[in-house]
Amino acid sequence: MPRIQFLSQMTIQWLRAAARPGGTVGVLGALCLVTSVTILLEGMKGVLDLPPVVITYLIPVLFAAIRWGLMSAMVATLAGAASAAFFFYRPIHTFYVEDPARRLGLLLFAIVAVVAAYLAARMRRESEIVRRREKEISDLYAFSRRLAGGHSTSDIFDAIEKHLATVVGRRVALFDPRGPSGRSEPIGENDVPQKVREIVAAVISGHADGGAGTAIADEHGNHWLVRAVSPKTPDLGVVAIDLGQQTPETEQEIRARIEAVLYDAASTIEKIGLAHAITEVRMRAESERFRDALIGSVSHELRTPLASILGAATVLCNAPAVAGEPRLASLANVVRDESERLNNEIQNLLDATRITGEALQPKLEWVEVTDIVNAALERRRIRFGSHAVEVDLPNEMPLIQVDAVLIEKALGQFLTNAAKYSPPGSKIRVRGWRDGETLALAVSDEGAGLTAEDSVHLGERFFRGRRHVQSTPGSGLGFWIANAFVAANGGTIEAESPGEGKGTTVTMRLPIPANVEQLESISSE
Amino acid sequence: MSDAATAPNVLVVDDELQIRRFLRSGFELDGYSVNEAENGREAIRAATLRPTDLIILDLALPDLDGSQVLERIRSWSNVPIIILSVKSSEMEKVRLFELGADDYVTKPFGMAELLARSKVVLRRKARATTGDSVIRIDHLKIDLAARNVFVGDERLTLTPKEYRLLQILAQYPGNVVTHQELLKEIWGLPHINDTHYLRIVVRKLRQKIESEPNHPRILLTELGVGYRLAPPNDPPDAQAD
Repeated sequence: MPRIQFLSQMTIQWLRAAARPGGTVGVLGALCLVTSVTILLEGMKGVLDLPPVVITYLIPVLFAAIRWGLMSAMVATLAGAASAAFFFYRPIHTFYVEDPARRLGLLLFAIVAVVAAYLAARMRRESEIVRRREKEISDLYAFSRRLAGGHSTSDIFDAIEKHLATVVGRRVALFDPRGPSGRSEPIGENDVPQKVREIVAAVISGHADGGAGTAIADEHGNHWLVRAVSPKTPDLGVVAIDLGQQTPETEQEIRARIEAVLYDAASTIEKIGLAHAITEVRMRAESERFRDALIGSVSHELRTPLASILGAATVLCNAPAVAGEPRLASLANVVRDESERLNNEIQNLLDATRITGEALQPKLEWVEVTDIVNAALERRRIRFGSHAVEVDLPNEMPLIQVDAVLIEKALGQFLTNAAKYSPPGSKIRVRGWRDGETLALAVSDEGAGLTAEDSVHLGERFFRGRRHVQSTPGSGLGFWIANAFVAANGGTIEAESPGEGKGTTVTMRLPIPANVEQLESISSE
Repeated sequence: MSDAATAPNVLVVDDELQIRRFLRSGFELDGYSVNEAENGREAIRAATLRPTDLIILDLALPDLDGSQVLERIRSWSNVPIIILSVKSSEMEKVRLFELGADDYVTKPFGMAELLARSKVVLRRKARATTGDSVIRIDHLKIDLAARNVFVGDERLTLTPKEYRLLQILAQYPGNVVTHQELLKEIWGLPHINDTHYLRIVVRKLRQKIESEPNHPRILLTELGVGYRLAPPNDPPDAQAD
């Protein structure tokens, strides 16, 4: 008895497996094909005197095998043999076949059909596997590329989420266990139900077993599976997969497939050192935040006494008692000038923390470029007392839409650098012109110029040209800040120099809004 | 200005002793007489009790926010007020100008700059009290009563919007008027963010009144905040003092 039960269970399982690829559609399709072949043969019977027709039924069998799999091919075989016996072999309209040769023929047909169907179905399965492998490989490739391009943990989690979603083929929401609030937005358009979130939280906090996975139904009757991506470490995230509305059996099956996929994914992820990468990115972000907070608070603390020093120094410089005593006056000037410089360096540090803190949101407004240039020159007037500044701006420049204060600061950095790296008495030229769809602003000096090495590293934070490290004080932040400010306004910066000692030209290009002419004509009425 | 009777009284409000100390020296060397307050309440009391011609007000005070002090003093007095602040955000400046601040200086600053700005706001007040309707800035003459504008001896033809802009600015020469205020006054509330309207009119106006429109000396831009007219020429009789 148990043996029979086992056999019947095996049969049922085999049938189920055979039935899967095409399902009911496959069976119905097979029957349709056989019916059409029968109708065709019936129609031709009157026209031609046909030899044994049974072989024609191989066509639906093979077609069904390739298209819908083995089960549907079996159905086609059976139906084909039955139709031949019923419609074409005497006695007609009974399933009985009189002629022994024809009976043998039917048997042979059945054998050939089964073998052919089996082969065709296997071919189909194999090509399907190959296709799936191919897709898996290309998915994996896309995944690894996304990982390589990721700069932050959220990028990496994004990549994992997308990868799982493609591999599992269902809606997947990945939760970052140590993220600021836990990632809560799934890849699809709707949210993860509250009930599922609760389970996710329980898995993250260790109250629920994440390794085996927990299934839960939400209020719409959708089933969700919640589990840790890797049973070994929660760092790779906790995943919630929408299984949809499934019967217990199919759900069991899908869960088994997901298990396998997650297992693969987790080991792939571990292999490419992802856990390590995530920890590293976190540490880096943490330490940068800490550094910026430190710089920010130190700068503010430094500024308070600096305000008193600078203020007092300027009072001293102008006091009659000091002004009448040239040696004292020059000392007072040193105190004043150096505190000004210290103040600028502190301002640079503050600007730099603004950039890395991602707090840089340009406040765009329509501005006149000449206003920006004049403000930048005005603010630095004292500092290029010994340089001849020449400004060359055409009268009718288009309005641009930028954060005027940021652009003024960037231009100011150009001017400060030009004054710093060129000899007193030399000329600094500021030029502006329209260049197609951009507005260009250039500052040229007749100073130290750039070496090939300088040009390569110029945009880097804290970079200082080797020739100037000893001779000219500076932090190497200025150009980097200018670059970030201009980029935040959608512009670009380039620096060029004909060579060492031959001067430098730094140019910023800012986009001219497409509708500017129209706006100008509207508002000038 | 050394005569004690005519020396302007300046009230310095800052909670930091060192700042008050150099401001006192700086102003006294320039002939002012100086009073000090180290918090908001003291500042308000001092402004009511003592004759005050100018207030230098730090924004970060231990008891009240500087802008509250500004608002309270403005509720009864139009004494010139210059704000000191470590913050240099344009939004903050706009807010303070609209609350009635006359000028804004970012810390750290040099004494010469503060003295220059102080002179401008004091002169403006002196002009306002004379009630003169003719304002001369450089070679420009604006006659608010007759609604005439001259460059040198030549009378200008201005569009209504150009004249309105000049008129608003000339009511408080030297004072910054914010973009929003100008847009609201000239084009109305719906256009309060259409800064490009303002830019175009300013460009046209500068071409008429400035000798070098690209280097304006009369109609000045406060980047990210608004516009102001350069300080008016000293009236001939004031120079005699």
